[in-house]
Amino acid sequence: MYGGGNTFESVKTDSIAQEDPIQLGLFEARIERGEKIEPTDWMPQLYRKQLIRMIEQHAHSEIIGALPEGTWITRAPGFKRKMALMAKVQDEVGHAQLLYSAAETLGKPRQKMIEDLINGKSKYSNVFNYPTFTWADCCFISWLVDAGAIVNQLANAKGSYGPYCRALERICAEESFHLKYGHHCVIYLAAGSAKQRQMFQEAINRWWPPMMHFFGPSDKISTHTQVLMKWKVKMGTNDDMRNQFLDMYVPKIWELGFTIPDPNLIKNQETARWNYTEPDWEEFKRVINGDGPCNKERLEVRRIAEERGLWVREALKSPKAEYVLPLA
Amino acid sequence: MKSLDPRVRRLPPAVELNQTLPKSPLDQFVTFEVFVQPKDGKPFEHEGIVHAPNLEMAYVLAKEAFTRRFDCVSMYVVESGKVNVSPLTEGDTNAYDLIEDVPGQAGEKESYEIYHLAKRGKQHVHAGSVQACLPREAMTIAKQKWYPGKGVCNIWAIRTADIRFTSPEEKDLWLTLPDKKFRDAAEYKGGEKLKSFLEAKGQQNLNHH
Amino acid sequence: MDNRPLKELLYKIADDQLILGHRNSEWTGMGPLLEEDIAFSSMAQDKVGQSLAMYTLLQSLGEREPDLVAFTRNANQFHNCVLVELPNSEYDFSLVRHFFFDTAEAIRFELLSDSSFEPLAQVARKIRGELRYHTLHANTWMKQLGSATQESMSRLQASLNLAMPFALGIFEDSPLEEELIASAVFAGEQELKNRWIKKVEEIIGQTNLSLPDVKAIEPILGGRIGKHTEHLQPLLDEMSEVFRIDPAADW
Repeated sequence: MYGGGNTFESVKTDSIAQEDPIQLGLFEARIERGEKIEPTDWMPQLYRKQLIRMIEQHAHSEIIGALPEGTWITRAPGFKRKMALMAKVQDEVGHAQLLYSAAETLGKPRQKMIEDLINGKSKYSNVFNYPTFTWADCCFISWLVDAGAIVNQLANAKGSYGPYCRALERICAEESFHLKYGHHCVIYLAAGSAKQRQMFQEAINRWWPPMMHFFGPSDKISTHTQVLMKWKVKMGTNDDMRNQFLDMYVPKIWELGFTIPDPNLIKNQETARWNYTEPDWEEFKRVINGDGPCNKERLEVRRIAEERGLWVREALKSPKAEYVLPLA
Repeated sequence: MKSLDPRVRRLPPAVELNQTLPKSPLDQFVTFEVFVQPKDGKPFEHEGIVHAPNLEMAYVLAKEAFTRRFDCVSMYVVESGKVNVSPLTEGDTNAYDLIEDVPGQAGEKESYEIYHLAKRGKQHVHAGSVQACLPREAMTIAKQKWYPGKGVCNIWAIRTADIRFTSPEEKDLWLTLPDKKFRDAAEYKGGEKLKSFLEAKGQQNLNHH
Repeated sequence: MDNRPLKELLYKIADDQLILGHRNSEWTGMGPLLEEDIAFSSMAQDKVGQSLAMYTLLQSLGEREPDLVAFTRNANQFHNCVLVELPNSEYDFSLVRHFFFDTAEAIRFELLSDSSFEPLAQVARKIRGELRYHTLHANTWMKQLGSATQESMSRLQASLNLAMPFALGIFEDSPLEEELIASAVFAGEQELKNRWIKKVEEIIGQTNLSLPDVKAIEPILGGRIGKHTEHLQPLLDEMSEVFRIDPAADW
């Protein structure tokens, strides 16, 4: 689950000027033709750097994203939900595994990425810095946060880097289960008792602001990413993604008789764009920089998991082993 | 730790665990390439990689990472460093045209598995096995066997002896895979429930008016 | 025919699987290695799925539906062995428990694949591949960590010693044991135990670990008759936290 290009570094285009113009020309022509870039190809340093950054953030978002829902694995009501949630959270770990591998083909070892996560050097999706108070919060994530992630991932799957596209293809196939499962849970809450309905309404009220943040800052204030769009690293603007999500899911939420805590939320039929109250981007920045309700816990849990597993990994490491980059 | 998560509340405090062990030169495991056969009679396909300390562990770890859903009847793994790779081409250039032919070698032949990448962005697919003394010789023999065929933009040659295969008696590992419906989107059809809910809601609204 | 012995057998198998599956699922997202996290979660799912198959057989024998059976009973109504309800502790203990338990489970279902109760025999034949994976996984880890570093070996050895009396509790005899054997439903706990000892000896023999002397150890019994440790009731309370908000509701 991943919200999109919300933490790209500002792009210093002067680094491109230092690249070999002939190689750069071939590289850009290849992307222009719609051919994928594979790990052994020549690529500009900036392309490599930004891709590692993006795929790594995506991977971190999956492994951290396993925590807020993981909370409910031991409490899911009934066999059907229990098994589905176990499988769903497992998939998030699996997605992290696939994505770290894709990033690793670009030259950054997985262990280094995990260390950078724990040290707070690299980011993950902001949405997972919020707590899941009830089962309904967990259902909100399974349905709507995953829905948002799918919007983003389907776009990214059309990007230029082969290993990332392959990973995303597999991930998207698995996400369709998450989405259906999440919607199924919510339909049952909606059609259930007053208490069940209230649980989900409260979840929407809590999660709507982080959900709007999920796609990243408004295009009006976000970093200029034209060259990344040209290289098919970034595949859509934050506002486009947000609009696509609103278009697909707001009617489904309303259909179930729930309200969304934004009085200005309405579709402009002429422009086909949604109007909404501008999300609080100051809060977004605060949370991404570490000051959210759960940032500390998420990283702490990840760190404890790494430390508890250290003896297992250390025991089996072989000093003779010769590391090569994974192939694809 | 204070947390809403009962699992987190049960975690041991971090300080007690913070025993730093001497780091070995390589601070992570090597990687292994994973290949899956979706159905009997279909070729094996490259699926991805796992991190593992050795070949047997790679097999054990790859099984659930790559074959817990969809179709699988067999799987195998090989260390990434043991895959011999041809140059990568694009467009209409065939990768076989870029490899230097290695003449037949004298000596004991071994079996190699040959993989083709038909198009960038896709997965490598098993083309067949050949007998050779060297990986490059194996590619040369493969070229004589399968070229000119469809476009090939990358070739892998893997010594069969380096592979951890699924043994015949292990084929039942995937026996219940088709029954794991709880991992399928199709198992979560909410349509009927939604319809009856919406009908009831519509009825309620009518009564209100 | 009196199906009390059969029901008792199914209950203890199902409760073992459910409780261990639940315990092992706690590792999801917190495992020692991403790939192992995934593998361990799958096996937890298998266990819960197997327990559902058992509770479904029980339902066909007149018991309540699986959700109610699993999510509304109290600890003293559970028939699992004590081994499976113990907290996960560190990975060494979780692995050793998995090794002890799944070795027994694989043999149990091998025996049950010839059961005179055909629906059970069918399930047993069906899940043999799942159990093959569970034992392949357990044996591989035991062999690797059991011959690796001083730390990994001493951790596993300590966990073997700690878990053994509880593991012997898997084979707690039932008062109805003789009837199960006579009716060819199941070959019995003693037969299972004898085969289990041979198997765990064989695997541990391939490591630098030593198996505690089974004959010198007093098994920890009681689980099969509802006598549990203080760990089971909180586990059940947590498992049914949402379900109990409204047991009649559809979730």
